[in-house]
Amino acid sequence: MDALLATLVSGLVLGSLYALMSSGLSLVWTTLGVFNFSHGALMMVGAFVAWTVSEILGLGPVTGILSGTLAAGLIGIIIERLLVRPFYSNRNMLLITAMTTLAAMVILERGAQMIWGARLKQLPRLIPGEVQILGTTISAHEALLIVLAPLILVALWRFTVMTNRGRSLRAVGQNQDSAALLGIDVPVAFALAFGISAALAGLTGALLGSIRFITPTMGSEPLTKAMIVVIFGGLGNLGATAGAAYLIGFIEAFLIFGLGLYWTPFVLFLLMILVLLFRPNGVFGGK
Amino acid sequence: MRRLLDIIGLQAGYGASRVLNDLSLHIDEGESIGLFGPNGHGKSTLLKAISGLLRPTAGSIAFDGKDITTQRPPSIVAAGLIHAPQGNTLFGNMRIAETLELAAFSKRAKAEAGRHLEEVYALFPRLAERKQQFARTLSGGERQMLSIGCALMCAPRLLMLDEPTLGLSPRLKEELAAAIAKISKTGVPLIVVEQDVEFLLSLTDRLYMIEHGEVVREISSANAPDHEEVMRLYFGAEGAH
Ligand SMILES: Nc1ncnc2c1ncn2[C@@H]1O[C@H](COP(=O)(O)OP(=O)(O)OP(=O)(O)O)[C@@H](O)[C@H]1O
Ligand SMILES: [Mg+2]
Repeated sequence: MDALLATLVSGLVLGSLYALMSSGLSLVWTTLGVFNFSHGALMMVGAFVAWTVSEILGLGPVTGILSGTLAAGLIGIIIERLLVRPFYSNRNMLLITAMTTLAAMVILERGAQMIWGARLKQLPRLIPGEVQILGTTISAHEALLIVLAPLILVALWRFTVMTNRGRSLRAVGQNQDSAALLGIDVPVAFALAFGISAALAGLTGALLGSIRFITPTMGSEPLTKAMIVVIFGGLGNLGATAGAAYLIGFIEAFLIFGLGLYWTPFVLFLLMILVLLFRPNGVFGGK
Repeated sequence: MRRLLDIIGLQAGYGASRVLNDLSLHIDEGESIGLFGPNGHGKSTLLKAISGLLRPTAGSIAFDGKDITTQRPPSIVAAGLIHAPQGNTLFGNMRIAETLELAAFSKRAKAEAGRHLEEVYALFPRLAERKQQFARTLSGGERQMLSIGCALMCAPRLLMLDEPTLGLSPRLKEELAAAIAKISKTGVPLIVVEQDVEFLLSLTDRLYMIEHGEVVREISSANAPDHEEVMRLYFGAEGAH
């Protein structure tokens, strides 16, 4: 029983992490129709900048996390401007931007290696101490992640549904010309979607920097998981993406508990292929 | 007389193929105009060039005395030059109410969004009955109403409607025509593209016939041609093509 509850809690932590990552990925997809392969690298940048501001400049973890979020958001906007925007009107945009965002990933990872080196780094926890959830002891920092993720998701959802600025992102994703004729600046909407998505990745990285080690490649595993999540959830719907994120979190936790770390990714990818075969619009998608 | 819209020597097209050839037309302050002509001769292309969706390759467009030839849609919409495009499907996964609210996007439109929303719902009660319905599930007529409603939410100072009654049943066409006449009566100048010349004559002050991307004929509603002449004009034109 205890083991079961512990597994549930660990699934909740993973699910929160995946929800934050995949919601950003999904936002860029629904707005621009682009799959951003540098999303994991942006997460890593957030963690390194947070570490530098907090530990080297000594400004503390809160300022660090905010700086990491902001830095990742800015780099996201730059990536959109330089590596995505030139290809908007290209017929092979999806393929080209897959290559250019992969290039951005490599550049960011090598850049981080040059700037910060290979030595493992870690941020101090935002909240020290531990808490009990469902009879399982976890660090207060992980508990914060569990609480923060749904709050951020709800805020993002409210933004895209209740505000005109947020609605404009959905509008541009569905019909660029009609959106432009309502006075919506399409390139601005694209940049905003990329910026918000990258900032979310940066925030995730900065929060994860006190749980895992900060390395130049720390973003690649969360990116893979976020990809599995958006395929499970069906590309495009924030609610379905969030649901799929927690589902994958729980499945992964139970697989690790039952099968061990070694076989878990194998089974996850197998599940993903099955979903693609039998429910190509996602587990929660229509049809 | 002051000109609300002044287009001189406009050329535009898609890639290498040119659609508009040296097209000139104007709207005086306080009047509405109609555009008609055979299919595929550049009426919609002209409206796209005016609203900034398409960049002209030559010529000039001035709105309210200001040159807007190379401006992008956001600033053209902000100036009040609004375009409801042909067959506008808008945003399939958005509900009627939020689409209309979104349409008041520019600062100028936002200031009057509440009043405009009431006016749109009064003009199109069908939309008011279906506020929470997704745009992709609307009928053709309802979709036209939503498109015109969105244009009204933009606070138009000149409203361009591209075939607002295309593909509708006669009854529904009449309903929309009446709504458009109401809009015109509130003092919003119109550019209406339609195939039904008599409808245009009743609604607007002047008509331009467009063929091969040029104005080939100008008709004033005051001394309008009779039905027979209109028919000859139309089919004569299409036959000559
Ligand atoms: N996006 C596009 N790309 C390439 N060619 C286009 C495009 N849109 C229109 N055209 C071409 O431009 C020409 C003029 O089209 P346009 O839509 O302006 O005609 P129209 O007068 O509005 O016709 P209709 O009465 O059928 O609406 C046509 O030959 C059309 O095929
Ligand atoms: Mg047309």
